[in-house]
Amino acid sequence: MTPGGADSERRARRLLAWYPRSWRSRYAEEFCAQLECEFDERPRSIRRTLNIAWSGTLARASAVGLAGTTCDSADQQRWSLAWLAASLAAFLAMGLAVWSQLVVGWQWSSPRTAGTTLGTIAMSVAVLALAVLGVCAIAPIAAAVVVQLVRGSARRRLALPAAATSVAVALLIIGARHFENGWPGTGGHHWALQGLVPGGVAAFVWAATLAVSSYWAHPGALQSFPAPEVAWMAASPIAMAVLALGATTTLRRVELSERQLRLELRLGQLASVAMTVFLFGAIAWLSDSSPRPRSIPSNLFHVGAIDISAVVVMALALVCAYQAVSRGIGAITSRSA
Amino acid sequence: MASRADSKAAPAPLGSLGRYAGPATLIMSSLAGGAKHGYALTKDIEAMAGVRLAPGTLYEALARLEGQGLIEALQSDDRRRPYRLTGAGATALREHLGAQRQVANEGLRRLDAGWAPT
Repeated sequence: MTPGGADSERRARRLLAWYPRSWRSRYAEEFCAQLECEFDERPRSIRRTLNIAWSGTLARASAVGLAGTTCDSADQQRWSLAWLAASLAAFLAMGLAVWSQLVVGWQWSSPRTAGTTLGTIAMSVAVLALAVLGVCAIAPIAAAVVVQLVRGSARRRLALPAAATSVAVALLIIGARHFENGWPGTGGHHWALQGLVPGGVAAFVWAATLAVSSYWAHPGALQSFPAPEVAWMAASPIAMAVLALGATTTLRRVELSERQLRLELRLGQLASVAMTVFLFGAIAWLSDSSPRPRSIPSNLFHVGAIDISAVVVMALALVCAYQAVSRGIGAITSRSA
Repeated sequence: MASRADSKAAPAPLGSLGRYAGPATLIMSSLAGGAKHGYALTKDIEAMAGVRLAPGTLYEALARLEGQGLIEALQSDDRRRPYRLTGAGATALREHLGAQRQVANEGLRRLDAGWAPT
């Protein structure tokens, strides 16, 4: 092989890395041969590189059920559920952090402006709906996981992700319970009844999402926090990531009947609606420009850069959830057709 | 031997390929003239339609067409693998081009009948 040929092959192999393994195992050799011919004719082309990067990214999205038609319909439904769970996890991590500061604020005073009041109520209704849908969705999956673990039919595939999910949930509950009690601003104070939600719930969610904080950008202020609280702020996102990864892996590996898959995707459709309501509530709060009465402390219901970032992440997660649900429902339709 | 796609009752319409319908039509039209590998397809399409398909687009469309059974890869000792149109692909291409011809004929008829610059 000529030095130029070796260089062309190296460049082709580098570009091939944009594609997923499954695609490479089928097309690698001929695609490299194609690229080497292209290099001979046009040695450099930014348009060609961008085209390959874009196509490779699409092929990767297709391989995990987010685009194209690579998956069969049962696989597509499973991938859709996994993506829905991942999107919901990202949405809730941000959304609950935003919501908890509003309902914690409401423990001290009602907002008294229309946008914040309606926004917080809309978000609270959506949280309640998501909690009910979550129970309906998780119960049959948890039962299927337990049955398959006990029977041993899928023990090797399910044991690790199911254990990781359970440990992460336990850590988040224990940690949030501990830190909710350590903060005097929520939970159990004598005005608890004036809140939109019980003070304990507000405090628990606040403590669970403590890591979503603008204090990360202010290390000086962070240093004044008690060490265990900073440790919790660092550890809880790891627990959340393990929870999301464990749950999505479990969803992809657990055997679910077609009826169960349908039910889960229909619940996912309803969850997307609840997420949309939640997002509109958050936007209503962010865009509330009415002047607040002086009797309300300025730090309550205050909009910060972290909240705007959280809403952007929520919007992206919602788009991802809609895409996952519509592709999953499409797979159901094509399967029954 | 009948290919996997030949046994299907109705071929998938090219419109179902979404934004790849254009490249797919060009690829299948090129393969209607005989089996070709990727680079030969690129050159033939460039000569036939004045369009150069970028390699990412070409292989994305090839993968989708192959997935739908409209084309199939042939065995080759070379790294470059040739593709050919399947029976289902030929039927789908004929229907697609026929529909396009109808649109083209109607558009031309209307232009000839009454269009005038304002």
